[in-house]
Amino acid sequence: MKAVGARIPRYDGVAHVTGRTVYVDDVRIQGTLWAKALRSPHHHAGITKLDTRPASELKGVHAVITHEDVPLNVYGHLSALGIPADEPLLAEDAVRYKGQPIALVAADDEETAARAVDAIEIEFEERPALLDVRKAFDPDAPRIHQWGNWYTHFEDEMDRRQIRKGDIDAAFAQADTIVQGVYRPAAIEHAPLETQVCQVVPEANGRLTIYSCTQALYFSMGVVAAHLGVPLNKLKFVGGTTGGGFGGKVDTATETMTSLLVLKSGKPVKWRWTREEEFLCSSTRAPWHMEIADAVTKDGWILGRRMLTLHDSGAYARFSPYGLTKHSFHHTGAYTIPNLAFDGYVVFTNRVPTTAMRGFGVTSVSFAVETHMNRVAEVLGIDPFEARLKNANRIGDTSPNGVVYTDPSTVPTIQAIATAIGHELKSDYRAMTNEPRNGEWLPEHLVAQIANPEEH
Amino acid sequence: MAKHRGSGTAAIEYPTGMNQNGDPSQAWIKVKPDGRVDVFSGTADIGNGAKTIQSQIVAEAIGVPFDWITFDNSNTDSSPVCTGTFASRATFVAGNAVLKAAKQVREKILDVAAKEMEIDAADLEIVDGDVIAKGAPQKKMSVADVAGAATFGHGELITGTGAQLKPYVAIVDAGTGQVDLAPHSAISYAACAAEVEVDDETGEVTVLRLVQCFDVGRAINPTLVEGQIEGGAMMGLGLGVLETCYPYYPDTEHRGRQFGAYLAPGMENMPEIETVLIENPSTDGPYGAKGIGEMANNPQPPAIAAAVHDAIGVWITELPITPERVLRALEKRSAGRDQPTKHGKVVAFDEELSLARVAHPEAPVKLVVE
Repeated sequence: MKAVGARIPRYDGVAHVTGRTVYVDDVRIQGTLWAKALRSPHHHAGITKLDTRPASELKGVHAVITHEDVPLNVYGHLSALGIPADEPLLAEDAVRYKGQPIALVAADDEETAARAVDAIEIEFEERPALLDVRKAFDPDAPRIHQWGNWYTHFEDEMDRRQIRKGDIDAAFAQADTIVQGVYRPAAIEHAPLETQVCQVVPEANGRLTIYSCTQALYFSMGVVAAHLGVPLNKLKFVGGTTGGGFGGKVDTATETMTSLLVLKSGKPVKWRWTREEEFLCSSTRAPWHMEIADAVTKDGWILGRRMLTLHDSGAYARFSPYGLTKHSFHHTGAYTIPNLAFDGYVVFTNRVPTTAMRGFGVTSVSFAVETHMNRVAEVLGIDPFEARLKNANRIGDTSPNGVVYTDPSTVPTIQAIATAIGHELKSDYRAMTNEPRNGEWLPEHLVAQIANPEEH
Repeated sequence: MAKHRGSGTAAIEYPTGMNQNGDPSQAWIKVKPDGRVDVFSGTADIGNGAKTIQSQIVAEAIGVPFDWITFDNSNTDSSPVCTGTFASRATFVAGNAVLKAAKQVREKILDVAAKEMEIDAADLEIVDGDVIAKGAPQKKMSVADVAGAATFGHGELITGTGAQLKPYVAIVDAGTGQVDLAPHSAISYAACAAEVEVDDETGEVTVLRLVQCFDVGRAINPTLVEGQIEGGAMMGLGLGVLETCYPYYPDTEHRGRQFGAYLAPGMENMPEIETVLIENPSTDGPYGAKGIGEMANNPQPPAIAAAVHDAIGVWITELPITPERVLRALEKRSAGRDQPTKHGKVVAFDEELSLARVAHPEAPVKLVVE
């Protein structure tokens, strides 16, 4: 039997539906301590006093950690991609979002750990918060991040992700109509059934075994190794089966802090976030603010696009500069637009840091681009299917960053959806293919962007 | 007061693999003395079916039954690097790694079989767990016997290793964002049509039907990829009409802190879903596959927004399209305030939401159109 193309049942399906899959929370290690976190109650505040001694002195408490216990407290998850570090594992002199971890306790049971967290003496000096990305650039906006209110470390230390292509001013001058719109998809929760959880065990040979729900064993192992300053052979990640991730379990939210509690107490420790912590303190999908202006002709060609994007990153950069860059690469959607001016900013706000989620960076731009396409068609009074097919990317066209499309299938995909819902296309649109442009589908404004014009 | 029906469409694209690449996945395989195959991969299965898909690729590439495969991604001591299960990369990037490892295993099985059968390896193939002489299928030896001979006769371990990496693609000009190589492993395409019903009294939007066409390159497992697309449709529906962390964004109050207070889509929201798979193979994915895991929740929100517009004539461009937003939009419409502003050849929607309107007049960042 051919294996590829076969409708084979899931490898792990029976175990999942009969409850026999072992998730991290199912691992039982004798003598395990339980962790709880002291978290910021404020959006934005300075920490003026932090005394953990009253917690350490409680019976049943085996370890308390703060930023002082972390060998490398501020580590950039994407420093390999040139994104510098900004987020402390445990807050130092300030907190920048409600729920930010400040100290952790390991105790005999969860109740004792919670009591110990309450016993920690802490004082704050509240600061004004910034929550609306649209006000981040205001001269009187509170400054909330070490780099200012937006990320300033793109290539050449630019403070935005910028795409420029063609002659945008000429396109707008030449347009019959300019259609403008604003698009604002919401932050949403990953809402996994399995909350953030890990179990760390100190082995006799000095290694740490880390039972993890991460979506990325090696990535998360690298994060822990960097914070702890240990080589990879000191760690063993056990996992590979995640109880719901959707992007949120790329964060390595628990493994490092729990490992530190293990190193300090010498005992196995488990940290299992409550449902409320999962909802309120774990990262979310980012909210986005996008503005598009398209220069269009009366028969539906898009000559040029100006776009402004504000990516609400929350309090720290985490993966947001990566997400915004991906967003910018796809800001023309499945279409070829020869003249472009895109400016995108990663904006910091005093909310929980946002992170990867299914469709990272592009879910937002797909919503904006496609809703805008439907509006352009409405304004011009043309069939949205025709507007799409006309502008659809074709073999030999170039992307916003100058990459040649070799195997686009926008045309067949749109034709297929038209067929599936019984939307009749005119014969020239039915006959269209994804092959290189020619004839009526190669208007003057699309000639210059073509990679190898002699093939057309 | 009435219920209004409408339909709308969206078409999207989405990259496979990490943006700008640089994301390795690796695998290795060993064969037991009875020919059964152990695959070691670092790819976490987050419900995307990585264990199944990678096992299918290995079974196909070696030529043995699927149930001969044991898949182990359980720990970093035995499994090599996989950057992770995100960026729609598990099938394509990690799939290519196991494919390369499986091809090595196949070659080694054929080498041992060639010695045992005294037939040149180039004249042998593996079908359904048997090594067969091409054109003379009566001459065969089971892979189980070949593996036994390797272990106990030749003193060999049949293994294979595979690594997939497209090197990091740098932005060569920060001013224009230009790159000089494709900054992805592949691109996938999809379209979605939505049908909705909008109650103009309660403001509630019910998604009745979602039709989705996905170019998956090659469906390694049609059931699993349809499952991805249907699950994605439900997440897209959640994005479109239900979910938000901050009901009064940018304000952070009124956050849902439990499932009962956060509107994730449930079975009662499930519309009729129809899925059409298109197989336009990628140039270098395993068996032509592309990654569609993430994009599965991307086309529904704009299709739903268009369907709502078709139903009640208003554009709602802040998600989710809640009853409150529907009612406010209808209110604006009956007051005649829902039309875009026109100045010169500019037709401007949503001006009240724009930076130009909300930010301080001296703030340096705005969308400048003319």
